[in-house]
Amino acid sequence: MILKVALTGNPNVGKSVIFNALTGSRQHVGNWPGKTVERKSGECTYKGVDMEIVDLPGTYSLTARAIDELIARNFIVEEKPDVVVDIIDASNIERNLYLTLLLLELRREIVVALNMMDVAKDKGYKIDIEKLTQMLGVRIVPTVATKGVGLKELKQAIVEAGKDTLDHEYGRSTHRHIQLSYGEQFEEIISKVSGIIQKDPKLTEKYSHRWLAIRLLEQDEDALEKIKGSSQEQTLLEVIQ
Amino acid sequence: MNEDFEVLLTDKRYEMISKIIQATTIKGKRKWTISDMLDKAFLDKYVGMPIFLAMFWAMFTFTYACSVPFMEMINMAFVWLGEQALQIIPNEYLAAFIGEGLIGGIGFVIVFAAPIAFLFLSIALLEDSGYLARAAFVMDRPMYRIGLTGRSFIPMLLGFGCNVPAMMATRSIEDRKDRLLTLIINPFISCSARLPIYILFAAAFFTQYAVSVIWSMYILGIIIAILSALLLRKTLFKGEPAPFILELPIFRRPTLKSAAIHMWDRTSVFVRKVFTYLLVGAVLLWLLSAFPWGAGVENSYVAMIGKAIEPIFRPLGFGWRGSVAFIFGFLAKEVVVETFAILFAVEGEAATAIALRGVMTPLVGYAFMAFSLLYMPCLAVFGVLRKETGSWKWTGFAAIYGLVIAYFVAAVIIAVGTLLGFA
Repeated sequence: MILKVALTGNPNVGKSVIFNALTGSRQHVGNWPGKTVERKSGECTYKGVDMEIVDLPGTYSLTARAIDELIARNFIVEEKPDVVVDIIDASNIERNLYLTLLLLELRREIVVALNMMDVAKDKGYKIDIEKLTQMLGVRIVPTVATKGVGLKELKQAIVEAGKDTLDHEYGRSTHRHIQLSYGEQFEEIISKVSGIIQKDPKLTEKYSHRWLAIRLLEQDEDALEKIKGSSQEQTLLEVIQ
Repeated sequence: MNEDFEVLLTDKRYEMISKIIQATTIKGKRKWTISDMLDKAFLDKYVGMPIFLAMFWAMFTFTYACSVPFMEMINMAFVWLGEQALQIIPNEYLAAFIGEGLIGGIGFVIVFAAPIAFLFLSIALLEDSGYLARAAFVMDRPMYRIGLTGRSFIPMLLGFGCNVPAMMATRSIEDRKDRLLTLIINPFISCSARLPIYILFAAAFFTQYAVSVIWSMYILGIIIAILSALLLRKTLFKGEPAPFILELPIFRRPTLKSAAIHMWDRTSVFVRKVFTYLLVGAVLLWLLSAFPWGAGVENSYVAMIGKAIEPIFRPLGFGWRGSVAFIFGFLAKEVVVETFAILFAVEGEAATAIALRGVMTPLVGYAFMAFSLLYMPCLAVFGVLRKETGSWKWTGFAAIYGLVIAYFVAAVIIAVGTLLGFA
């Protein structure tokens, strides 16, 4: 059994540094967007658990408009990694959390690496990690990747999260996914659309119905493509128009 | 529902984020860091640009000065090897092939592993320190003023290494027009494969100004890329560029390990290229220039090809050797240098640089450098152009456009140079 782990995050958060540290690879680390446009993968073993680590392009969002965002998104949606590691620049936590919220919608097991803690500290930030863990409902590991701080803890968290994924598959999961609410007005429409999606098992088999519903409501081109040929296609198109 | 839904949900997400931040994060006083101070200077409206140009000049000085002794050493070793081969191997064809084709061609090109290693070392140092991102920021100002996005400049900066990954980096550009535009102008950015051409020509014709001449080629590449973007924006890709937001990484001391990795990666790519593409080129070129056997290079097959194309370049004075170099240079730009090395080796000229002076004037040499910079992407870039634009039409357009621009710029250099009395 090999855990499939995807690394995501905004550009320039130290993703490649973490990838290299986890896999022992020597990928050159750049500090601007576009360095990793094609995914790279490597292997890692921790406490007897083998992992395949895939480094996805760094993105701020997960729309279908830019190719790198679509590559990252499609990997998570289609290939269903067991664990998604979201690397956050702690010194820019506000902007970085946007991607985190989008990732939460994909309903994979997420581990947040709160990286660049040293820079955040220099900036005078104090982050209550326990509270953040509660609010997001995911494992959070503070790291300073360039100095190797927190990497062991990160591997531990990935392995544990992977175990949750497996438990979930066998129906043994006790792990809760926190659902962030968009507010009553939006939630009503979202659940209406996701109700229709759930009528087509072909769709629910592949995609999280809530995620697909939100994307459809956003008129996301790729999502519209995904429902083509579905038994519910017409109904869905009428509702979201 | 309408597309506003996306905007509304985005607002909602930011609302959630601000709640989370309020509950979890205390933002203290920000310290004034050295990074901030450096940015005051590097990003300044007036000194930012001169600093950028000076940085680049310093980069080439470093590359050139450091690599010259290594190039000398490697070169001496291969010259000696070549002489040995000609003496020891009894079979005259085989001796000529190994001595002139392999050692004269491949051996001559492998010399350039030194400047390429140092170029990538300096690029890595500039990149890792965080300076290159500032360069993109500095260039954004003039580019935005003429209607271009600084977003396009990042792939341009990457292009100094190799245009292939640079063009792949355009995938992060959302707007299709912006992306196509950035793809088409990227081959004008001088990649490291052109460096051997510049070094050979600059050393042959402009001894004490070699560094400045090499630097001027890189600046010329940037200028042509920007002007082309402007031209295309006004004609084929009408519209406003998407706004550009670039996050500036903090300045960091580059680690030697990371810089060394980058240097090693790229240099080994070059060495591998020498023993694949350039080896094929060497075999082909030698066969064409050594046969018909004993007829002399002037009457060889390669000369026939060269002389057939030469009339096109006659106004520029590149001669048949230069014409042939361009044809084979399509395989990979280093082949341009290799072509001269093999042609002269077969002719019995040991020093390519000195032999060059016999067939071109410095002015023609400079025009030749500019033409090699601009004329046509190499085979690999051609492939990426096709893949990333998804259309043969745009690929063909980029190729033809490059040829026209190259010819035009070379002609202007010759004309202006002649007027100024440099001929």
